[in-house]
Amino acid sequence: MVTDDKGNPLPNVSVQIKGANLGTVTNLEGKYSLTAPATAKVLVFSSVDMGTQEVVIGSKAVIDVSLKGEDRTMQEVVVVGYGTQQKKAFTGSASKVDVKEFANLMTPSIDKLLAGRATGVQVTNTSGLINAPARILVRGVNSISQGQGPLIVVDNIPVISGNLAGTTNSNALGDINPSDIESIDVLKDGSATAIYGSRAAAGVILITTKKGTKGRARVNYDGFIGVSNVLKKWELLNGQEFVTIANEKLRNNSPTPLAPRAFMDAQNTSTNWLDEAFIKNALVQNHTLSLQGGTDKTGYYFSLNLSKQQGTILSNKNTAYRVRLNLDHEVNRFVKFGNNLTLSRQVDNDQNNGSNALSGAVASALRLLPNVSPYSATTATGYNINFPTANSMAPGANTQSIDDNFTNVAFTLKFNNYESDKYRLIDNFYMEISPVKGLKFRSQASADMLNDYSFQKWDPRHGDGYSNLGLVYNVNQNFLRYVWQNYFNYNLSIKKHSFFLTGGHELQSTTTKWFSAQGVGLADLFFLKENVISNSAATPSIGGNFTKVGFESFFGRFNYDFGNKYFFQATIRRDGQSSLAPERRYGNFPGFSIGWRPSEEGFWNQSPLLNKWIPEAKLKASYSKVGNSLGGFPYLTSYGPAPYGNISGLALTGVGTEALQWETSAKYDLGIDLGILRNKINLTADWFLNDVDNLVLDVPTPFSAGIPGNSITQNIGKLQNRGIELAINATVVSRKNFTWDINLNYSNVKNKITKLYEVNGAAVPYIQNGSYNLIRVGDPYNIIHGFRYAGVNKANGNPMYYKADGTMVQQNFRTGASIGGFFVANSKDDGTIGAASSLAFADRTVLGQGVPTFFGAFTNTFTYKGFTLDFMVRYSGGNKIVNTTAQEALFNQSFQNNGRDILRRWTAPGDETDVPRLYYGQGNNINQNGVAISRFVEKGDYIRLQNAALSYSFNGKAIQKFANGFIQNIRLYVQGQNLYVWTKYHGADPDNISLGGIDQSVSPQVRTFSFGLSAGF
Amino acid sequence: MVACVLSATSCKKVLDTNPTDRVPFDNAFSTPDYCLLSLNGVYDAAQSGPYNGGTERRGYPFGAANIEQGDCRGEDVINLAAFFQVTYQASYNSTAANCVAFWDNCYGLINKANVSIDGFKDAGGKGIITAALATQYEAECRFLRALAHHELTIHFARPFLDGAGAKDGVPYRSFAIASPTALEQIRSTPRPKVSEDYTKILADLDFAEANLPATYSTATTKTTRANKAAAIALKMRVKMHMGDWAGVITEGNKLVPATVTPLTWTSVASPIGGWTLTSAVDGPFTNNSSTESIFSVKNDAQDAPSVNGGLAGMLGSATIGGRGLVAISPIIWNNSAWKCNDKRRTALYVTGASNISTTNLSYFTTKYRDYATRGDFAPQIRYAEVLLTLAEAEARSAAVVSQRAIDLLNTVRNRALQAPAAEQYVIGDFADKVALVKAILLERRIELLAEGKRWGDISRNVMDANYTTGGIPAKAINGANGLAIYNCGGTYTPGQAAIPVTDFKFIWPIPANEIIQNPIIIQNPNY
Repeated sequence: MVTDDKGNPLPNVSVQIKGANLGTVTNLEGKYSLTAPATAKVLVFSSVDMGTQEVVIGSKAVIDVSLKGEDRTMQEVVVVGYGTQQKKAFTGSASKVDVKEFANLMTPSIDKLLAGRATGVQVTNTSGLINAPARILVRGVNSISQGQGPLIVVDNIPVISGNLAGTTNSNALGDINPSDIESIDVLKDGSATAIYGSRAAAGVILITTKKGTKGRARVNYDGFIGVSNVLKKWELLNGQEFVTIANEKLRNNSPTPLAPRAFMDAQNTSTNWLDEAFIKNALVQNHTLSLQGGTDKTGYYFSLNLSKQQGTILSNKNTAYRVRLNLDHEVNRFVKFGNNLTLSRQVDNDQNNGSNALSGAVASALRLLPNVSPYSATTATGYNINFPTANSMAPGANTQSIDDNFTNVAFTLKFNNYESDKYRLIDNFYMEISPVKGLKFRSQASADMLNDYSFQKWDPRHGDGYSNLGLVYNVNQNFLRYVWQNYFNYNLSIKKHSFFLTGGHELQSTTTKWFSAQGVGLADLFFLKENVISNSAATPSIGGNFTKVGFESFFGRFNYDFGNKYFFQATIRRDGQSSLAPERRYGNFPGFSIGWRPSEEGFWNQSPLLNKWIPEAKLKASYSKVGNSLGGFPYLTSYGPAPYGNISGLALTGVGTEALQWETSAKYDLGIDLGILRNKINLTADWFLNDVDNLVLDVPTPFSAGIPGNSITQNIGKLQNRGIELAINATVVSRKNFTWDINLNYSNVKNKITKLYEVNGAAVPYIQNGSYNLIRVGDPYNIIHGFRYAGVNKANGNPMYYKADGTMVQQNFRTGASIGGFFVANSKDDGTIGAASSLAFADRTVLGQGVPTFFGAFTNTFTYKGFTLDFMVRYSGGNKIVNTTAQEALFNQSFQNNGRDILRRWTAPGDETDVPRLYYGQGNNINQNGVAISRFVEKGDYIRLQNAALSYSFNGKAIQKFANGFIQNIRLYVQGQNLYVWTKYHGADPDNISLGGIDQSVSPQVRTFSFGLSAGF
Repeated sequence: MVACVLSATSCKKVLDTNPTDRVPFDNAFSTPDYCLLSLNGVYDAAQSGPYNGGTERRGYPFGAANIEQGDCRGEDVINLAAFFQVTYQASYNSTAANCVAFWDNCYGLINKANVSIDGFKDAGGKGIITAALATQYEAECRFLRALAHHELTIHFARPFLDGAGAKDGVPYRSFAIASPTALEQIRSTPRPKVSEDYTKILADLDFAEANLPATYSTATTKTTRANKAAAIALKMRVKMHMGDWAGVITEGNKLVPATVTPLTWTSVASPIGGWTLTSAVDGPFTNNSSTESIFSVKNDAQDAPSVNGGLAGMLGSATIGGRGLVAISPIIWNNSAWKCNDKRRTALYVTGASNISTTNLSYFTTKYRDYATRGDFAPQIRYAEVLLTLAEAEARSAAVVSQRAIDLLNTVRNRALQAPAAEQYVIGDFADKVALVKAILLERRIELLAEGKRWGDISRNVMDANYTTGGIPAKAINGANGLAIYNCGGTYTPGQAAIPVTDFKFIWPIPANEIIQNPIIIQNPNY
């Protein structure tokens, strides 16, 4: 039997006879049996978690081993880039994500599951679309104009990542099967990231895939099946309520009241259009079969995966087929080589997701008239569409059709299609030579190929395709990245002095090619099926481009460790990138860190109090300078194609400056790691400061300068992120049959813009970033800027606002004064229309910030005998959300449906409400569309029951007996994801936000229940 | 490092990449072909720039959007959808996308013109192209620069006649800005007065007139590139805004013979360029490059505004392939002075479904017809406008009712009449010259309806007691539809209140971003 130092049985420990290809693994009770040949002398016990131990067999028949975990967390290794380090010697700041916690959760890619798993890593699933990547920020927003997401490195290789398909959302990270992942390490501070120098400003996520294990091959099947539903939908008016509200809008029109146009039909039709766009119980399933094993010299890991996920919007789907083959082989004691191969095919389906698009799935479902049926018995298609007369729907009993011609979402989701079919191959080969003890040379080369074949079709009968007489579009994108790394690791220990040296060179070259073909005016519906068909469209057109960018890097790292007590690290990286002018291509990025483990000092060891209560303590500090990579050629001023109709032309496409240089980000970190109460409680705390200087900023130019893009990329501006991170892991109960572990983490990131640029010696106060946000010195990135709403005038129902000086103005909609104009308001109760006034840009004020300032999670894991229950509660807050879904859609004043909140509108003098009197056609005015107003700005704080899972592992012995040894273990589980959200936010979900804090009619989050089975053979 | 030594060239190659989708700045004027390409690129900037910073092109500034906005600011159309609702209802603020996009793209065009002017001068100096060709290209650029500045002036500044040009104008950009250093120069230049803008516009147009060819050899470029008559005609328009009627007559006489015969309108031909009215009222629209299309901005199936900006989609009926977003207003349609049997009513307008109703029909223009690929040229200057402008100048300048003014008016109007000889205007139809000018102004509204010219006329006449609309006129309410409101000669009561000329909303706000990035530019009041 194999146990840990507390006597708990350890399953899955490899038991191997040294020098022979013979071994087994322990079962769930930690037991094993092995018939050893007479020649066998030593048994090797090894486990990923607990390390390796050798035991002499001698004449013993029963060998019980207790594998020592002196401190599990301190014994862990940290993947640090071009190598690993023992966690106890690691002086940087990194978060290790426990992959086991979520390997079986339902998602096609791991990014969406990172939320709450690590301190300092803020993950936002910005919609419920199945294939949209999550937004990841490591320690805040670290750039304004350049990349804000972390560098993703898989098995040492920076891979292509992002939302890359031509016509759909897609997630390149989805090519990595989550259950193939062995570990994820997020490098956060300068010291840890400095080795990635130029590309480390926004953090680095290191993903390591599973490798072969010595010993008998283990076959594992993991499968789960589940259903997804929208967590929270919008509440819309029903048919009868719509009739009331629509006619009230018309009746209130000034100066002439308009006659009613909305009427119920004889069937009392009341359509919930959301039910036409969203499906119930969307089926999701995932199956992985893996084979993991090896001999003394060779290890292999092989897996096959099929994942099919239906999104909650009718046409939103992701299907993934993924294969992995990882192989490592030791030729002899000097030479080792290996190859990791990722093969993947992902097929994504999507729809028009435009937040204001007339055929946008959500945009139209929110507005379509509820007293009109989606279907019609009298049309050829069976749908209520006016083809061929017009691109509209029949109005039913109403006397007018929907305003702005939003189209029948039931039709467009069925007949239009957006599809992307992607093939991915990442091959990653290495050879390692160890000529003398402690020295390893490694040469690693990889090719990452991603081919996207995307298709889009718009039916000519209705929706987006109508004006084009049908549209087909194909785009083929080809991404190819070569990486070649050559580096060495050398370690040397002389008595208490340990030295570890890494140095090397890396080349990276990425080419992106694409071309597209489009046809509009299709000969016939027949040609609108799977692909562009030659000669089938009246007007064909093409597009395409080629770009190539490269990096060259030299890097070195020196670690010194005295007595496992004092640590020092120095890192240098020199990077060149093709996006800068030749004479400014290279930048140097140094990093330093120190660490001290006072718990190894005599005074600590000898203090009974300290040694008993806090047996492990480490203090660390780091500083480094890192950079941010650029894309394209921002330093060039150039002329690009600009055809004047069919006459070719060239025009200024961008103004650059040759002086452009690397952006530098200075990162500071102070941290403490403590093991408390016999290491039952582990605490990690960090303080950090990222000081970004020479921001590579797209410096806005006045429109009247006429510079293309209205910006010149320059090294101007500074910003800061500072914050604290706190993580506590604790074992609350640790008994033989019952354990309870908790994990609590908290992060706080304060962002501040510290400098922008100057015009004529005067600092520019701010940059407008879209309609709702400002980037302003002294404030966090993307503050929300707009008008303060003063409520509804009780006497006349007019919306009122505060001007900068604190006085109130009301917006008039009745005859007698300018309609839509602003007039002085005396008080909330006084309906007098005062003198003409205005609501000007200068009256806008800060209404909050768009990016959350604190976030974290609380995880509990209980085990009782074979049962495990765990759940995670996640929280986030400090931000405000501009609910433009309410502003533009739910409270519109057009002949369109509304949210039920409009029933609160002002109707008669004395009414006290926040919803002004209705006026047909005045939605832009009443709701101030395009401007943030405090009426639609709400707190974004929330607590979310992110997931809960209950699993049962069958008693290994019983299973083995029952299955005659064929099955080693079985685990069954049920789980729920995104179960509940506690929030005061009124929109669909407080995670549905852009980086500016804007909620714009995106598909709401989904709740998934699933059932799974894991079996080992 | 070892590897790099082994393959020194490959390391270098990794970093030595260059764009493949654009040429270095210095190449853009290095051969005659490059020079011509760079000129075409300036025209492209007139046709389509980015909308709201995105990649979508809605025909800003002159590809379609100035036509759509020029009409939606006035009372002769009804806005039926969200696209131009802010413009129509005058609910714009300093971040309103339509106003911002127009400002942004006009200056985008102006700077591309200025950058290319430097390039042409340089190429001419080096002998890459002839000095004459360099000057002609410069003249084309300066024509576009003047056109853009003038449109900016009438939207973003008070009318010239409000204080004789003493109000704040728009920044006039006359040098290339292609580096951070050049940019600094504009940051010390405050808004000029309106009169200064007009002086510079006229200087550009004088240069253009002197150096543009009278005509181009190919059928399409004769309309889609600036020519001498276009420069003169634009000068007429500009001087009209200044109330310089003598100046308009001087310019107009270059393009109109001393005697005209209104009953044979096709015989009235411009001495410069040979421009003449087509025989039929829809001639300029059935043929983008007609004999009267002095200057239009080219669109075609290969390169056109997006579906959210295209002329035919926006202004055309949904029944025949348009989207029915902007309809004709009963305010002009019902006007009894527009004869009910006028040929234009049937040849250029149809009833049809709109984007909000297939049953409550509206009147839509058929001036633009390429519904699927949006290839209608965007007409900027037609010979009909030249004749009516000259007519107005003659009518205003004369002491009494001017016969020449009537002849010029009749030349345009007779084309549309069922029986021109009997129905054409005669001197006795007008009590005084004011009545004649009013008839000419109405004829402009009719003839140029749906060509974006309405706002210019409102703006220039608003300070004139005889012809003022008082401000932004009362309009039909947004979305008004149904054939019941249309009735030639009938009455119609507009449901959207007028906005007086004294109201700050009479002119557009300067985009907030301009004020922030260039604080020397002061905002229009109350924005």
